[in-house]
Amino acid sequence: MNDKPQGLAAARLIYQDRTKRVKELKAQGRKIMGYVCLYPPVEMMTALGYVPFRIFGRYGEPVSAADTVFTPVVCHFLRSMIDQGMKGNYSFLNGIIGSHTCDIGMVAVHIWKDYIPEPNFVYFIDVPHTDHLPAQEYFKRQILDLKRKMEEFAGQEITDSMLADAIALHNRQRQLVRELYELRKANPSPLSGTENLEVMVALCSLPVEEGNELLQQVIEEVKERSREQFDERARVLVWGTVLDNNALLEVIEESGASVVIDDTCVGTRAYWDDVPIGGDPWEALARRNLVDLKCPRTYRQAAFGQLKRDYDTDLDSQFAYLKRMAKDWQAEGVILQSLKYCDSHGYDVPGIKHYLDTLGIPSIYIEHDYTEGSLAPIRTRIEAFVETIKV
Amino acid sequence: MSYNQTPLYFAGVDIGSTMSKVAIIDDEQNLRAAVVGPTGAEHRRKANQVMIEALGQAGIPLETVGYIVATGYGRLNVPFADQQVTEITCHARGVMTLFPEAQSIIDIGGQDSKALRVGNHKVLDFTTNDKCAAGTGRFLEVIAETLDLPLSDMSQISLKSSRPVQITSICTIFAQQEVIRYLSEGTDLADVLAGMHDATASRVVRMARRIGVLPPVVFTGGVALNPAMVKAMEDNLGFPVLVPSNPLITGALGAAVIARDKYHQLAARGRAPAVNARRLEEVDLFGGGAGK
Repeated sequence: MNDKPQGLAAARLIYQDRTKRVKELKAQGRKIMGYVCLYPPVEMMTALGYVPFRIFGRYGEPVSAADTVFTPVVCHFLRSMIDQGMKGNYSFLNGIIGSHTCDIGMVAVHIWKDYIPEPNFVYFIDVPHTDHLPAQEYFKRQILDLKRKMEEFAGQEITDSMLADAIALHNRQRQLVRELYELRKANPSPLSGTENLEVMVALCSLPVEEGNELLQQVIEEVKERSREQFDERARVLVWGTVLDNNALLEVIEESGASVVIDDTCVGTRAYWDDVPIGGDPWEALARRNLVDLKCPRTYRQAAFGQLKRDYDTDLDSQFAYLKRMAKDWQAEGVILQSLKYCDSHGYDVPGIKHYLDTLGIPSIYIEHDYTEGSLAPIRTRIEAFVETIKV
Repeated sequence: MSYNQTPLYFAGVDIGSTMSKVAIIDDEQNLRAAVVGPTGAEHRRKANQVMIEALGQAGIPLETVGYIVATGYGRLNVPFADQQVTEITCHARGVMTLFPEAQSIIDIGGQDSKALRVGNHKVLDFTTNDKCAAGTGRFLEVIAETLDLPLSDMSQISLKSSRPVQITSICTIFAQQEVIRYLSEGTDLADVLAGMHDATASRVVRMARRIGVLPPVVFTGGVALNPAMVKAMEDNLGFPVLVPSNPLITGALGAAVIARDKYHQLAARGRAPAVNARRLEEVDLFGGGAGK
């Protein structure tokens, strides 16, 4: 019997020090590939033997170095990420793949290229902002270009069978994550939103095989938890920008709500859809990451090139998945949260609010800025929102 | 003391950023005491003093108060409260008690402003300003200090304006500079002040419109005591607003009404709180006291 922490305890340790494990692996000769947002295909990194490592900022640490290259009125997450890069905290990476997630994301990758010497390999993948067929074809070409650059850098080709194996491993991870989320449909949910986030952060800090093993342990542990008595807390869905830290979820859960489901990118967005297998794997990657992956940075029109004004159909084509999530997890309210200056998410808020209003699901919109200080005035609003649901 | 001893009273304690308010009601929801005192740095932990004053005004001992709800920014600094409820829920409840027909509430306090849509005894939607002084009582205070005018004079002078100026900045500091520039150009003081009140009202009304504003609108908070602000609010909304006779007390009143509900809910289940366990003590913010 080894006394190494397992399951949720292991996830928490990785959450608290996310670079520890990859640095260990690096010392043993593994190569680590950093990536920004969800658009660079992790399957390609795994196929070439890289550990995919998602790059975040450092929540709450004051930005100092990045102020010379980034104006303060941009996304605080990306500002903090560049700040960490400039402070040398990501120099252990062998390479970085960034993407045109949003305009600031595009600029951030190039700032990285221009101002941060390490790592040397910095690739920028262009991602179209709609999901039409021509956009999918364009994105596939981008992925194939990334393939060539990665092969050149690694000195090794990615064969279709290597890619297929990697896709299978990552699909397995997605399946396990969905299994874990399935357990949260219970009332009360046996897993809190903050515990869940610790697991999700751990997954993007580990090789996929280790992540899958961790997930299996967590699922077993959560299944064994005894049902507590009826939970009076309001079940909420949390939508919005990247949450790589528990501070906001803690405020929500301390305010008498239970986070049972999320639509965020260190959560369901990363794991909800598999890469389809059977056909052209490169096309499958392009389709999965552009069409199936749902971030507001990609606009989904109901119909391509249609002139008719059809707000409700457009809203439904964009947000029907949220309706299903809210229904399946019995969410009594939705907390729409966004980091300040996130245009992609901000522009979607009036539409989502309108959509949720028509469904009779209460929602609240809050903005924060990647520091705990910004959460103090938000606490009262969230408590009041929970009071309105529970009255 | 037993729980079924009558008469029973209920208290709401609203510790705002600038003012602390206590309302005491009886079981028929008649207001028996309404006390407003400053919060300030030192008084933040002295909710007990405002409470003692309110008990004196009502002429009742603490033991006859069945349930106490604390609200407002400092709601955690009230060690003798049985429960904390946010000011948003409490304001709505207080206003709906006074004006059952209300559909919208706009509240401007010392450091924040909020807009609510209410109906069916419930909060339907709400919004608050984030962390900026513009559109709050603090903005008016900054201008009053700059001009060395008492707030009440500022309001009266403003009402004499015939051609209010346009203040375009939404930042308190820049708006202050704009006011000074108008005055140095020789613009009539009344017109500058009217423009300043209009800018504040306009900002809050725009915030309120994000969730929709339906008449009748009730205007509350300390700033509702300012007649020039009431006029500016009506001008911006395009219809009259209702102002309670004591617009500062609505949050505390709502807290007291919620306290009464809560007491009866718990009493029905035989779980009313032990009223004689409360201590009207100062809060020690450095250990002990509330929340410890």
